[in-house]
Amino acid sequence: MAEMEVKSSGHKKGPGVKKSKKQSTRVDLTPMVDLGFLLITFFIFTTTMSQPTSMNLSMPKDTKNPDDNTKVKESGSLTLMLGKGNVIYYYFGNDPSKMQTTGYKAVRQIILDKKKSTPAEDLFLIIKPDKDATYKNAVDILDEMNIDDISRYAMVDPTPDEYDKIQQTEKSGGVQ
Amino acid sequence: MARAKIKRGSTTVDMTAMCDVAFLLLTFFILAAKFKPSSAIEVTTPSSVSNKHAPQKDYFNVTINKNNQVFIDMDDGMKEDVLDELAKERNLTFSPADIKAFKQATFVGVPLSQLNQFTRLDADQLKKITLPGVPYDSTNNELQAWITAAVNANLGKKTNFLIKGDDAAKYPTFSAVIDAFKKNDIYKYNLITNAEDVPPGTELYKKNMEGKMSGGTK
Repeated sequence: MAEMEVKSSGHKKGPGVKKSKKQSTRVDLTPMVDLGFLLITFFIFTTTMSQPTSMNLSMPKDTKNPDDNTKVKESGSLTLMLGKGNVIYYYFGNDPSKMQTTGYKAVRQIILDKKKSTPAEDLFLIIKPDKDATYKNAVDILDEMNIDDISRYAMVDPTPDEYDKIQQTEKSGGVQ
Repeated sequence: MARAKIKRGSTTVDMTAMCDVAFLLLTFFILAAKFKPSSAIEVTTPSSVSNKHAPQKDYFNVTINKNNQVFIDMDDGMKEDVLDELAKERNLTFSPADIKAFKQATFVGVPLSQLNQFTRLDADQLKKITLPGVPYDSTNNELQAWITAAVNANLGKKTNFLIKGDDAAKYPTFSAVIDAFKKNDIYKYNLITNAEDVPPGTELYKKNMEGKMSGGTK
């Protein structure tokens, strides 16, 4: 690609005189342009990518009157309690004694199974993060609701009984 | 008749102009890019599948760091009004110098009693000291007072309430922040997260794909 523009000189020299080749001073700038545009593309992409996204969260109004509380069918409810060390304790219906343990990856299948086996209008998920759950846990589980397309869920504090039970399970399981 | 010789044009193009343009653009973008202000508060946000961009205007942001401390920052445009409202609410007086210092401060990380000293610190000094954070316990809920001030300062306008929490922040802190908002009758928040891809095969993924397909054919 390097350019060599040798002008055909108008006047001819004598037959014995060799033409001295004039070296072009031009440099091929194509790679430099390539590099420039590559850098531009890189900067544009990295700047737009770093914009943080936001997740919308709407909380219900606290009601003082117990009659105003949302009624949940026992058959349609699934309670997820978020405990220490990224562990989820869950139980179906209204019976915390049948509590089972799972993690954040496996919980999707449990939610989906419940969703399949329950009529859509009865399905209700209750999320109870306990004192040792982290903010990440809470966001992850809310995100899971989005991923699994669950529209009816609530976030409440666990009852003292449930909290005690989690504490016991954690102690016996040796969760730090 | 002697015909004029057809000159063979060179196929190479002069790249100098293009090179100039490329580097001009490059310089422009680098200079125009806003550098991420190295914040005194370090927060690693969790990720979510949400793809909405966080609002950058008229925002009131509550940050929770990994030590469960709460910090506040807000849009520059509403700072003065918020401070004004806060002064009314708590019977405080701020001198014009205090207000000026507050407008320059990037965030609030101390109780109200130390606010004036705090806003006069510069970025280097901020890094050296440990900040106590804004109190949010029930005996002295200054977070709630700040939110009330923000609501009153922005009456009739839409304020975006952001919550930016660290991965390791404990849930009770988050819950306390939500409570402080709820006391002010604010029920909608934006949680700042990092973008994450929707896992393939899930319900949301299918829903998104259907949306795209029907959107494409129509």
